[in-house]
Amino acid sequence: MSNVVLAFDTATSSTAVALSGTAIAHTAELRDDPIAGQRPRHAQALLGLARNLLEDEGLTFADVDRIVVGTGPGGFTGLRIGLATARALALGSGAEIVGVSTLRTLERPAREAAGDGQAVVAILDARRGEVFAEARRGIDLVLEPAALTPARLAELTIAAGASAADPWLGVGDGAVRFRSILEPAGIAIPADDSPLHRVSATVLSELGARATAVPRAEVLPDYLRLPDAEITRRARSDP
Amino acid sequence: MILAIETSCDDTCAAVIDRSGLILSNVISSQGIHDRYGGVVPEIAARHHLELVDVAIEDALEQADVGLGDIRLVAATQGPGLVGALLIGLSEAKAIAAARNLPLAPVDHLQGHVAANFLGPEPFEPPFLCLIASGGHTLLAHVEDRFGFTVLGSTLDDAAGEAFDKGARMLGLGYPGGPALQRLAADGDPTAFKFPTAEGVDGLDFSFAGVKTSLLYALRDNPDAPRQDLAASYQAAIVEQLARRTEKALEQTGIDRLAVGGGVAANGPLRERLARIGVTLHVPPRELCTDNAAMIASAARYVTPLLPGAYLDLDAYATGQRAL
Ligand SMILES: [Zn+2]
Repeated sequence: MSNVVLAFDTATSSTAVALSGTAIAHTAELRDDPIAGQRPRHAQALLGLARNLLEDEGLTFADVDRIVVGTGPGGFTGLRIGLATARALALGSGAEIVGVSTLRTLERPAREAAGDGQAVVAILDARRGEVFAEARRGIDLVLEPAALTPARLAELTIAAGASAADPWLGVGDGAVRFRSILEPAGIAIPADDSPLHRVSATVLSELGARATAVPRAEVLPDYLRLPDAEITRRARSDP
Repeated sequence: MILAIETSCDDTCAAVIDRSGLILSNVISSQGIHDRYGGVVPEIAARHHLELVDVAIEDALEQADVGLGDIRLVAATQGPGLVGALLIGLSEAKAIAAARNLPLAPVDHLQGHVAANFLGPEPFEPPFLCLIASGGHTLLAHVEDRFGFTVLGSTLDDAAGEAFDKGARMLGLGYPGGPALQRLAADGDPTAFKFPTAEGVDGLDFSFAGVKTSLLYALRDNPDAPRQDLAASYQAAIVEQLARRTEKALEQTGIDRLAVGGGVAANGPLRERLARIGVTLHVPPRELCTDNAAMIASAARYVTPLLPGAYLDLDAYATGQRAL
């Protein structure tokens, strides 16, 4: 494991940053969570939060050995700010870089909270009435990551066996937002203020600590959705 | 040595210059992808910037034959432009500067176009007037020194480059329309149609709404008119408006030195028309007129740099930090 690991995720409206590694006594996390309706502050918050964590340890950006970045899916602009920052920090300092799916980061603590054999579905608000979601039972993927409407997700979970008697555990800002559609589909959703709904940079750093580093250019966002203009263009050329 | 990044629209640009303004490298990675959509799509531009920007930076360093250790200042365009696109270059610049403990200079894109004229080996010295005309902006700048400029006039509606693109679309030419329209116009009679030059607009502001509407009516009323004549007349009206406002500004200020910037400055007939005004004209090479990072690096030399720590919360801006 690396001496100094800086991990951050900007795929949701939150900016979450954690500092860990063998040179750090206790993993520390700082976050900026805009309240509902507020604009995300990734561009303004990300590097400042990271600097504060580093300064507390008497370190600078140059001391970071490994950068772990959330690759989404999530808000397009936020994702790109996180990835551009991660790649440029790595370029500037020579740190290794690792990308980790934001849905996996969300799932990980929920799996520990889930009952034996209970499926966990990670659900991020994708705006425009859609969610990004994937589901696992243990480590087995039972629902491929996809952008879909909450109603479609509800159909899929019911078809896959979720029910009031055997509910799946649903977490993430998308689960909170579409609770009224998802709960009747056999998805149990913790209270709105449960930390399980937030993407934790501490969990991200754990997932990324042992992963194999990759070349910077290979760390790309997982958009899971085409740009609107491309959807329109394809619809036009392929009626 | 200054490393600059420019991602305000659809070109991903990185450059290295030295303090004296000599260009060591000027990498411009054109995305090309937008033609099929008939214009720049912000989300697609931003996706491509993220994929291209690291390579552009590494190419710029390699072509300049320097390492990051040689860089003393990092610069990036902060605005105006497409915010999602600007944020890629700005995030990169902030992170590189933070990792290297370097100062950062946030640069105004329009000041960049002006500062293209300050690049070596033979910089054009203020005072001068600068006509900046591109797909995104059209304005007349009064440049008194290397640190800034005042806006004497700007467009009230479309930018000149937009007017070219829209005219080209009406004439059935593809996107980007400027070069295609200029090619078609080369065989046409610029006096065949009399299109308006916004004489009714007060002061030194520009307006291209009228000429656009006139082309629309001309096409409707003269379905058999030669397209090259329509193109030539349309181009002549845009060029004439740009040139006349520039002449008026030169007269009003008593300045006899003129520079240009922006993609439309590469238009042949405009350059010829401006050359006939009879003042000292400076036209930077084409690759310094269109969007590029060397001009951002040039402007960065006259910006008070933000010290490490002071730029971590820097955000991009979409429209005029300046009074436009
Ligand atoms: Zn420009």
